[in-house]
Amino acid sequence: MALLEVNDLHTHFFTREGVVRAVDGVSFSVERGKTLGIVGESGCGKSVTALSIMGLIPQPPARIVEGSVMFEGRDLVRLPERELEDVRGNEISMIFQDPMTCLNPTLRIGTQITETVRRHQGLSRQDARRRAVELLEQVRIPNAAGRLDDYPHRYSGGMRQRVMIAMALSCTPKLLIADEPTTALDVTVQAQVLDLLEELRREYQMAMIIITHDMGVVAEAADEIVVMYAGQIVEQADVLELFDHPEHPYTEALLGALPQLEGEGIREGRLTAIPGRPPDLIQLPPACRFAPRCRYANRHDACAQGVPELRELRPGHFVRSGHPASERAGARAEVTA
Amino acid sequence: MTDDRSPLLRVTDLHKHFPVKQGLLIERTVDEVKAVDGVSFEIQEGETLGLVGESGSGKSTTGYCILQLIKPTSGSVCFAGEELTGLDREQMRKMRRELQIVFQDPYASLDPRMTVGDIVGEPLVVHGLGSRRSRRESVRQLLDVVGFNPSFTNRYPHEFSGGQRQRIGIARALALNPKLIVCDEPVSALDVSIQAQILNLLKDLQRDFGLTYLFIAHDLAVVRAMSDRIAVMNRGKLVELGPAEEVYTQPQDDYTKALLSAVPVPDPRRMKERKAERRRLQHALADTVAT
Amino acid sequence: MVVDPRQEQLRVEAIVDEERTFDAGTAAGAPVRQTNLWKDAWFRYIRNRGAVIAGAILLLVILYCIIWPFVSPYDPNAVTFADKNQGPGLSHPLGTDAFGRDLLTRTALGGRVSIGIGFVATLVILLIGIAYGSLAGFIGGKVDNGLMRFLDALYGLPYLPFAIITLAILGNASFWTMVIALSVASWFTTARIVRGQIITLKENDYVRAAKAVGARWYRILGRHLLPNTLGVLVIAIFLELPGVILGEAFLSFIGLGISPPDSSWGQMAEEGRRVYRIVPHVIAIPSIAIATLVLSANFVADGLRDALDPRTRET
Repeated sequence: MALLEVNDLHTHFFTREGVVRAVDGVSFSVERGKTLGIVGESGCGKSVTALSIMGLIPQPPARIVEGSVMFEGRDLVRLPERELEDVRGNEISMIFQDPMTCLNPTLRIGTQITETVRRHQGLSRQDARRRAVELLEQVRIPNAAGRLDDYPHRYSGGMRQRVMIAMALSCTPKLLIADEPTTALDVTVQAQVLDLLEELRREYQMAMIIITHDMGVVAEAADEIVVMYAGQIVEQADVLELFDHPEHPYTEALLGALPQLEGEGIREGRLTAIPGRPPDLIQLPPACRFAPRCRYANRHDACAQGVPELRELRPGHFVRSGHPASERAGARAEVTA
Repeated sequence: MTDDRSPLLRVTDLHKHFPVKQGLLIERTVDEVKAVDGVSFEIQEGETLGLVGESGSGKSTTGYCILQLIKPTSGSVCFAGEELTGLDREQMRKMRRELQIVFQDPYASLDPRMTVGDIVGEPLVVHGLGSRRSRRESVRQLLDVVGFNPSFTNRYPHEFSGGQRQRIGIARALALNPKLIVCDEPVSALDVSIQAQILNLLKDLQRDFGLTYLFIAHDLAVVRAMSDRIAVMNRGKLVELGPAEEVYTQPQDDYTKALLSAVPVPDPRRMKERKAERRRLQHALADTVAT
Repeated sequence: MVVDPRQEQLRVEAIVDEERTFDAGTAAGAPVRQTNLWKDAWFRYIRNRGAVIAGAILLLVILYCIIWPFVSPYDPNAVTFADKNQGPGLSHPLGTDAFGRDLLTRTALGGRVSIGIGFVATLVILLIGIAYGSLAGFIGGKVDNGLMRFLDALYGLPYLPFAIITLAILGNASFWTMVIALSVASWFTTARIVRGQIITLKENDYVRAAKAVGARWYRILGRHLLPNTLGVLVIAIFLELPGVILGEAFLSFIGLGISPPDSSWGQMAEEGRRVYRIVPHVIAIPSIAIATLVLSANFVADGLRDALDPRTRET
């Protein structure tokens, strides 16, 4: 049995302008010890999915209207808040994009870590302090014991994210959800943090969900990848399979739109831009959500008739499109070129 | 005006030091932050120089110093044969028709209380160009050129998405028909699919108007896509400067190597190899990103 | 020559290329949302029930003060000893005072003076505050430092005694001397608010963009900075108003304000003070009026702050 199973999750925001269908029927599972990457652009629902799993969506205006989140046999959606609090931070931890807003600027780093440790593990003050030093050493903060009594502003961005990771790991969670963990960091620091996360994941044998907009980051960190668009999963596959044979026109376009670091004629060439922008999540047409931007769709085919099903094209490779690459024999060469 | 060989922009030994002040009543300077510390480069007409670096490397400060938006501490900025650091306010004001800037954050760079038309038309008003009517026509044309529907000139910027707003910012920069545009992280706030649209637009504009760009960014792949030559900045200093191809394939400086190896590449098959490379360069990293 | 003719040829290309669209309501480039800052603020404001009620009361009080004296069957200054010191009743809903004057009418008349002085003085406070604050914030550096230290020194001045001294210097109390006395020592906070706002706004890229385009300083200040302080200024109006109205009431109550037969709420309360053992409603009515106005202005200020403060703005 998978560690986490998300089934047909619908999280909607009820606003003055209308119902925003931020997450609209998302299902996936995370195996023990594996890393799932969720990629998508802003507003695709990737962060709301994570917050829904954690039970951290702002209620109101948001509400999980349908679906379940099974974690080791318990449905987190229906769990009472008190029991959820025990799961959160203890069995499932989360780290966020901006480490500065997650740390209280008026409390010493040490105080913030020991607080978490003591709350969930009931350690004594001394033991908690020792554990805090241990954790900071684990995330490679030099001179950990000496820096325990510093305030957050004395830490750089990369170090703050390390502290967040240390806090997230303090209770040896079974699942770590990282929401854009490296977006606010410089590339060199990002590389270090990603390496660190991978190492710790192995050491703690945790499962991880890494949420990002960066195809490079998932390529590096994830075993399996879910691509989201306008609140839905449009493609799901193993990491190698996805990058070798992207099926959904959106995934293809996203990879094509990415500037390349290596290769010929980069300066002279144009990038394959995706025209238009994602649909308004309030007024979704009863059609394929990517159709207006899709180069293969036209207004007469099935794309305009209804939302395509997420179907298994090959074992473990799911696509929600009427025009997956492998079914467009001639078009393929042109796209990947 | 200038002969073919002299560069459009020549920056020589540029310094910008910010004083660190202390003291309650009487402030005194106790230290200096050398944001830009002796930077020199040239840009030829029609070319793009990519300026890469991480946060705090001084790349944006360099851009602002060139445009005289902040006064450099020392050094020379020579544009089309004219020394900009020596100009008085009114002379510089006239000079601004030749040098423009596109900002990073499309939300902060457009005045929320002005309509799209007023924003794009502001440069024309400021320099007293054209009549009210001809200005309106120019604004429509400019918006058209950047792919922004000109029928929305009376709307306010916050009604539009990030990509659309960035187009407005680009139209404003184009309004005075400048020679050089400093692009300060123009796509780093945008989603990948929109980013590609804007990068293509910038490429097209360069081709069609013969623009010269100083393209500042932290994303090495984006800079690669745009630049003929690359300058790498670290802690206020230029550590590497050369043709794009060379810098990316045969980096000379350790910091450049480290920077390149750190970029996550969307290719899982090459991951192992790159990670190994990264480890080898760990010493270079440890040196530059100590904290 | 403003726009290059070459731009024309690009036009079609750029649009076809970048903005290729087809049906399904996502016409690229169309506005994402069609609200504006003030509309947003309005919706947030009307969701705050307390602020809406306070705003309605404030409006009603003002309308009553303006309109009632025209409509009223009574001459507010007509002395009718036969009707003196009546309690609230059918013919005089709020009763009469020691001279038999109809209190409903006199309260409206007094309110005109109180509210009038309040608004005009607030306006003066805003003008001085904007001028001083924006100067300090815009110029910055040593000038800012000097101006702000001077302001710190001024902060030491006690507001009411200073107003009293001003009145003494200016001589007899009239509408305008009251306005001067009340505003001369109370613009400091507004100046601070404006300065803070200007300093924050100055760091915005759009100000930098205006500079890069070659805009002169007065354009940057007048076109980009000041219009963007409008939000805080609206809040400032309703924050200053209660203080000024209370100040006016206090000065009139101790006999330094508007002199009879003109009246203000403070002066009416003072008249009521002399007879409060016999007819307590004569002092109660103007007091309640002052309290109502001050309270509702405070509520409105709070509501506006929540509605206009960008930090509480939802996305």
